[in-house]
Amino acid sequence: MLARPGFDPELKAGLAIVGGFFPPTVTPDLIDYMRKAYASAPIDDTLRGRAVKLENLTIGGHRGDPITVSILRPAGASGLRPGVVFTHSGGMMFGDRFSGIELVLEWVERLGAVLVTPEYRMAPEFPDPYPREDMYAALEWAATNAETIGIRRDRIMLAGASSGGGIAAGLALAARDRDGPALVGQVLDYPMLDDRGIALSTRQFDGVGVWDRVSNETGWSALLGEERGGPDVSPYAAPARATDLSHLPPAFIDVGTAEIFRDEAVAYAAGIWAAGGEAELHVWAGGFHAFDIFAPHTALSRGMIRTRDAWVEKIIED
Amino acid sequence: MQELLGKIAALDPEASLGLRVIACFDELIIGNVNTRALLSAAASLAGCNAGYAQEHPRRVVRVTPRGELAPSDGAGPGGLVQQADGLTVWLEREGPKHANDDMILERLALSVRIRCGQGTQDLDNRRDLGVLLDGAVPVDERQLAATRLGLSTTGSHRVVAAPLFALWGGARPRGPEDVVPTSLGSLHAVVVPSDCTTVSASPAGIGIACGVEHLPHSFRTALVALRLCSLPGTPLVNADEYAGLIGLLADAPSDAHMPDVDLLDDVMTHAWACPTLDALIRAGSLRQAARLGGVHHSTMQQRVDVIAAMMGFDPIDGLGRTRLGIAYLVWRLRHSRVLDLPAPNAAVEASA
Repeated sequence: MLARPGFDPELKAGLAIVGGFFPPTVTPDLIDYMRKAYASAPIDDTLRGRAVKLENLTIGGHRGDPITVSILRPAGASGLRPGVVFTHSGGMMFGDRFSGIELVLEWVERLGAVLVTPEYRMAPEFPDPYPREDMYAALEWAATNAETIGIRRDRIMLAGASSGGGIAAGLALAARDRDGPALVGQVLDYPMLDDRGIALSTRQFDGVGVWDRVSNETGWSALLGEERGGPDVSPYAAPARATDLSHLPPAFIDVGTAEIFRDEAVAYAAGIWAAGGEAELHVWAGGFHAFDIFAPHTALSRGMIRTRDAWVEKIIED
Repeated sequence: MQELLGKIAALDPEASLGLRVIACFDELIIGNVNTRALLSAAASLAGCNAGYAQEHPRRVVRVTPRGELAPSDGAGPGGLVQQADGLTVWLEREGPKHANDDMILERLALSVRIRCGQGTQDLDNRRDLGVLLDGAVPVDERQLAATRLGLSTTGSHRVVAAPLFALWGGARPRGPEDVVPTSLGSLHAVVVPSDCTTVSASPAGIGIACGVEHLPHSFRTALVALRLCSLPGTPLVNADEYAGLIGLLADAPSDAHMPDVDLLDDVMTHAWACPTLDALIRAGSLRQAARLGGVHHSTMQQRVDVIAAMMGFDPIDGLGRTRLGIAYLVWRLRHSRVLDLPAPNAAVEASA
């Protein structure tokens, strides 16, 4: 077995609970189960006691097909606010637009941001390019209708976690290449960037923690089918394949040492630096994948959340 | 994590959340985390503030379910309270008590005592069942632990071992149970009477029967039996099926040099390997093996020839059969995936 960093003790304790519903190894036969297990809590429960207002809209996604978008605004907001286009987590196959939303709601409540979270269509029923192009359509829609929905067009930021982080990184590449909306930043939490699974960390955590090599292969295969690992995968789907990382919005990247995406995240930050871009990278010792979502009460999660929120505040607050 | 506990319960009403709470605090104790981390875990599991107070020197800490500190000025114990040795812990539960509150509070009290209690550096945080199953503990201490657990020191017992995520259908066996740290991670152990030879758990291993002084050995054989399970076909293995052989396996070092097992790695790359070896080690003749394996005897003969060529000995002749049998058992142990299975409800969902 390969040597690997251990889990932080508080997080290891958390795994005793997390392991009860989120298996380390997700195979294709578990996709239906994961859709139940990883479904978000009812949004009304999440919003109870928060000064946040929810609006649901239908917009045109990829090829103009209707998709649902939720807009979360600070109650009593007036004028144009910073906008955040959020891509939810779930390995490209599960989760919904409110998965992991609690961590970004802080930006709505405390920083006065308007959050746009689209229900992008997911693999394997809707393989590449549906998820990322639904998201790109939503980003364009948000920029085009910025004034109508209460967003400053010159202050739109991307954010996403895990598979959503990978999609967000792809959106930033696509927006640059297509002369799309101007972006002030991209928050990539432990992003899923590389379908090839070539980094050492990909192989270090088989069967432990959250989201191992096999789970990752399940997700990428659902998205890309036979193309996974082959020569024809778009960098908008797998941003690690991008050969040009110049002229991107400032990136904030965070990841744990005890997860398969560690080395992909570090390499992506290094690629941005090599291209003369701005990236802030935080690698949290002993963190398993998405530990801030599953165990937000731990010291490591509080540090990660605080650090991320400070960066977002710097970028988007009035 | 209260929401996660709710999720587990919704997905699998049979899941034992209490065991998960115990395992969670076991890891916190082993990890030697500080008081705030212990209170954070308790508050997060309970979904309400958790507090701690000590008398000398006076110190009060209150932590929210998000791990943030709550004001402690003038605050004191409220809600559900447990007190011992000048230390007090509590859960600020409003309204009726929740199902896991007692367990969370008990584990919080224990772990805070270990972290903060005076002169507790050597406080043994081991619980009776962990002591009883640890062969490194002197036998008289283990016998005392057995007595405290209400086990007859003259009777015969077995240990049942299962992962925390095991599915339990029907009645659970009666007997002392706990989460016990092992080299394979925290496992659920139950001591049952020796006439209990099956349990309705999947996966689970049942150890050999013995007196209380040999229960550490029964536990080791239960762990081997557990690792010989493979779902969905073999949810339960009783060590009795392998008698003395399993004892040898239990006491062999995990990194023992076993050339036959290394050779078997190549054989096992064949798709037919598992059912063929299963049949060969159970059968008394090539024809019987073919029947058990559901193939024509000439096919079985071809496979035996392949195995003989790769292993360098005839697998159905004399000592060769024994060598193959042992190598196959060890190979299964080394490649056992039963302890990193996904959540059990996944299998239920998949088959539903």
